[in-house]
Amino acid sequence: MGVSVFEITGRWLIRSLNQLGEFFYLFFQTVKQLFRFPYRWKDTLKQLNFVMIESAPIVVFCVCAAAAVTIVESSFHMKIVIKNDELVPGFAALLILRELGVVISALLITSRVGAGLAAEVGTMKITEQIDALKMLSMNPVRFIVLPRFIACVIGGVILSFVANLICLYVAMLISEYKLGYSTGSFIVAMRSFVEIKDLWFAAIKGGVFGSVIPIVSCYYGFKCKSGAEGVGLATTNAVVTSSVMIIGLDFMMSWLFSYYY
Amino acid sequence: MVISLLSPIVTDIGGGYLFFKDVLRSALKKWPRRELVFQQIWMVSTQSASTTALAGFFVGAVMTVQFTMQIKQFGALGYLGGLSTSATIREIGPLLIAFMLSGKVGAFTSAELGTMRVTEQIDAIRCLGADPIQEIILPRFLGIVVSSFFLLAVGLFMSIFGGLFLGVLFAGINPEEYLRHVPAIVKWPSLAIGLFKCFTFAVLLGGICTYKGYTTTGGAVGVGKSVVNTAVSTMVAIVVADWITSVIAESAGIIYMSW
Repeated sequence: MGVSVFEITGRWLIRSLNQLGEFFYLFFQTVKQLFRFPYRWKDTLKQLNFVMIESAPIVVFCVCAAAAVTIVESSFHMKIVIKNDELVPGFAALLILRELGVVISALLITSRVGAGLAAEVGTMKITEQIDALKMLSMNPVRFIVLPRFIACVIGGVILSFVANLICLYVAMLISEYKLGYSTGSFIVAMRSFVEIKDLWFAAIKGGVFGSVIPIVSCYYGFKCKSGAEGVGLATTNAVVTSSVMIIGLDFMMSWLFSYYY
Repeated sequence: MVISLLSPIVTDIGGGYLFFKDVLRSALKKWPRRELVFQQIWMVSTQSASTTALAGFFVGAVMTVQFTMQIKQFGALGYLGGLSTSATIREIGPLLIAFMLSGKVGAFTSAELGTMRVTEQIDAIRCLGADPIQEIILPRFLGIVVSSFFLLAVGLFMSIFGGLFLGVLFAGINPEEYLRHVPAIVKWPSLAIGLFKCFTFAVLLGGICTYKGYTTTGGAVGVGKSVVNTAVSTMVAIVVADWITSVIAESAGIIYMSW
């Protein structure tokens, strides 16, 4: 008795709002630490290497595969209906720059970097390394979260650039060899549909998604319960929550940017 | 240089193959306890259902927007539903939803198994005279395969609603019109290809994350490393498998039977 739909929804709502508040709290704590010099440059560079350099091949590979599949499929289907696929290159460039490049690379970074961070911080937590940091009067937010935050934001921006550009290049190759449009006509179609503005908007999106990942992952890492299952649960929660937040933020930012096109 | 780049890949492929053989052999020798398998199915499904549904919704929405912009100028918006549903179900849907799912399920399982390995729980099972593959790996593998397959199918189903939502909102056509062309363009071969891809990705996902978790070495850092490795190798494997299944389907002539 007593468990109604309202109760379940309300409990879920309160829990998610609570969590959102705690993310914001951690975010503001991190931003506050951002104004206190000096940074831990060595650790930041190490994280940057992990986030950006080591993720780049896999992100570029998967994003290009997704873009190629999208182009080939949409050409196939356009040919079914209107016997004509001459608009595919231009709209493929539009799709890559506005949505596909940055969102898919952010989701891939989430499942690579976010899962790794949550597992690492969670294991630190259950082996009491974070308590040890507090004992030494070091701020765990400053010591652990800040380098990863800086690295992920920089890495997100640069990776979104790299992924977009290589993805456009692959789209050009695909439309030349598979659809039969020359590179010149691809570039003409691209220039008539997208502007350089789109690239900047994609970079902003990449930066925002990059700031979501370390905050959420480190939050779940700090909250990790002891035991083998705790670490696994922390990684899952981190990946789920950041993916959901990335998709939600993407909808919001697309809506916001649509006023500026 | 080349050898140092290639050797971990070759080691992974060979080790994964041997591990898969062990898992299959122990499955043939003795079927795992049913409640363990169902426990895994329950855990994976309940944890990942919302993410998969959301990812499917998102993929369908993006494909609908893409097709709307293209066919609006030809006045062929009536075909929108069939086009975007077909494109989503056959290629882009399974690929992207499997990316999302690999981050979730793969990370969870390899972190759990890796922590079991580095805290010597797996060795303890072996000391008690039980086979760790039989006791731990096999239920997880079967559970992940079954539930990932169903989750991917649910994601594909949700992609239709995502497309419908954006079709109403963005293209301004009514839902009946959107859904009317879906059965005309999406015939059973498209559905069969999509579901076959889902099954392939599910097997890859289950195999790779259990293998990576089981072979974790080197303490707390090693767990993080094996989680990262799982994500990377699962994604590469999924992309490669996507290409291979597409080529097989194309060469078998299935792809053009739908029209």
